[in-house]
Amino acid sequence: MPSNTRKQVDVVFDGTFEGFLSVVHAYYYDGILPRSIQCADEYQPAIIQDEYFIVTSHNNAKKVATAISKKISIDVKRTAQYAFLSSPPDRYDALFQYIVAGFKIGHTIDNHLQNEIVHRVQKLAREVGREAHRYTGFCRFEETTHGIYYCAIDPVNHILSILANHFADRLMNQSWVIHDKKHHEAVVYDGHDYAFVNVNADQPPPPMAANEKEIQGLWTMYFNTLAIEARKNPKLHRQIMPLRFRNEMTEFKN
Amino acid sequence: MYAKNDKMIQLEQMNVLNDVGGNMDFAERLKTLTEGAKYDVACTSSGVNRKGKRGAVGSAEACGICHSFTADGRCISLLKVLLNNYCEYDCQYCVNRRSSDIPRASMAPHEIADLTMQFYRRNYIEGLFLSSAVLKNPDYTMENLIKTLALLRGDPYNFNGYIHVKAIPGADDALIRKLGTLADRMSVNIELPSEQSLTHLAPEKSKSSILAPMKYVKNGITQAKEELARYKNAAPFVPAGQSTQLIVGATPEADSRIVHLAQGLYKNYALRRVFYSAYIPVGNDKMLPAAPTPTFDTGTGLTHTAYGPILLREHRLYQADWLLRFYGFTAGELFKDENENLSLHLDPKCHWALRNLDKFPVEVNRADYAMLLRVPGIGQVSAERIVKARRVGKLDFTNLKKMGIVLKRARYFITCNGKMAEKINMLPESIELRLTDNHSAGPYGQLTLTDLAHA
Ligand code: SF4
Repeated sequence: MPSNTRKQVDVVFDGTFEGFLSVVHAYYYDGILPRSIQCADEYQPAIIQDEYFIVTSHNNAKKVATAISKKISIDVKRTAQYAFLSSPPDRYDALFQYIVAGFKIGHTIDNHLQNEIVHRVQKLAREVGREAHRYTGFCRFEETTHGIYYCAIDPVNHILSILANHFADRLMNQSWVIHDKKHHEAVVYDGHDYAFVNVNADQPPPPMAANEKEIQGLWTMYFNTLAIEARKNPKLHRQIMPLRFRNEMTEFKN
Repeated sequence: MYAKNDKMIQLEQMNVLNDVGGNMDFAERLKTLTEGAKYDVACTSSGVNRKGKRGAVGSAEACGICHSFTADGRCISLLKVLLNNYCEYDCQYCVNRRSSDIPRASMAPHEIADLTMQFYRRNYIEGLFLSSAVLKNPDYTMENLIKTLALLRGDPYNFNGYIHVKAIPGADDALIRKLGTLADRMSVNIELPSEQSLTHLAPEKSKSSILAPMKYVKNGITQAKEELARYKNAAPFVPAGQSTQLIVGATPEADSRIVHLAQGLYKNYALRRVFYSAYIPVGNDKMLPAAPTPTFDTGTGLTHTAYGPILLREHRLYQADWLLRFYGFTAGELFKDENENLSLHLDPKCHWALRNLDKFPVEVNRADYAMLLRVPGIGQVSAERIVKARRVGKLDFTNLKKMGIVLKRARYFITCNGKMAEKINMLPESIELRLTDNHSAGPYGQLTLTDLAHA
């Protein structure tokens, strides 16, 4: 469809990956040309002129996802999924352009590293992967009075779904909650399945189990004992263990 | 032979070496047994992928996960602890040697198992790294290690996370086999890089008592892999491979000998990792170098950590090791003769490049992947990006920058379409000067996180 017949609009979608793929579908089949793409949560009507709400369609999303895997590549689909979870305000615009370019160029799109959009989206995806990977190690759970393990995090990106997958496998037989304080969201796992819920900003942390303090004390002591005095290197330590992660980590809190 | 302390005698009489509380509380014993374990620098949890399973706790990720970092910048991924530190041996470099004046303690298998689970459920750790001082004799010690791991892997703990265990030199093969079916990784530490040093400083150990279990583990791994290829349910044996540690700076061996030794270990024993540990004096022993005295710089008002040079040397060894494992270098290429040390002010790749300037500059648009990897400043990620990107178009310096390739050092060694980044004098001295023109960064200026994080 020639672009001059397209309707240029500011697209708003529901914030899910399926919703985003529905936007891509609307571009190819409904003549929609996004001037900007925003999710409903972050949507600011004041700066938007022609807002156009895309209704999420499971079927359309599935079609686009399959097309990405088949006509571009599985890697591109994975990159898109990760970059989608990043946080800069223009992430959806960049991702949209990346996918459109992918359909044009095909599976070699990822070789175009000198192309700014390709480079940018890959970088966003890497940052998401990196932050999620770090949190798979830095998450700290506390046992609560209900025997549920509670963990608070404060990530830059929307990595809760990646963490949910990781811990549902690793800590399969215990109930846990991971609370993303930055995005006011939590994932709750009951020993079988998990679900995402919204959390109020002022939600206090749950009360701790009786022996929790003692275990935390043992860990903190263990952590402090491991450091070798002669090797201490504060500069390197700050680089490798950034301060922003430390707020929620037992060994740095106590 | 030596004076046993009261505690040891009492323990031997009671023969209850497995559940000793004594008058130390649990926290104190944990502290003591952590102190005894912390000079073993290996703390990686990598090498094996294992999904979680119903009824069990834990999984393993081949890439490894760091759960925290110590104040000295080392990755913490395992609960690294000794079963006990009552050692019969007297290795001079070791804090647990029998002549060392330290508090002694031990933990019962169920205490280790409980603690591992409590830490694991809170995601403090990726698993357990268990070792032990030689209590009574190697076999007896191994039996205790086996007992502990068997407990942790069995009901009701059902621990499915990562376990690294240190085998005891001189132990029976059957015990090594048993231990290897319970652990993911096994290590036998060589510690001293030559037989003379070993005889001198670790009289109860010998090269053969160390190498024999390594050979055994290597063969076991090969066999298990073959079996696994044939039957799906074959029992795994040390699936994450074996590693060892070398102490650097306690004895006079030059880096050349150390790197050649490492190369031999990778080749002949299929080791996954060799770890290097800068010798930090533990107790004043006359046979070993003493702790350096810190110096006060009146100019800057700073006290310099006198360990800088030895830590930097350790870092250079990790870099050289990296070149062996991932960059296609051989030890022979890095050294002129066996008494040579790595340069402290240039990383080993730069140093090699300066000695081999006739191989440079390389053309980014044509050089093969292996040669790109040899360019100072170009790592695996950059080399891969270059190879990918040039398939869709010629690359110039602006492209390289856009692709996120750091040219700070690489610029002196590459051309893009026949052109260099700037006109420079291709004399070793002139390039060397540019490469080391980074005084403000100090000796740690070139530390890379990946090297250290997995150190
Ligand atoms: S046998 Fe091990 S624990 Fe005992 S002194 Fe030697 S190195 Fe230390």
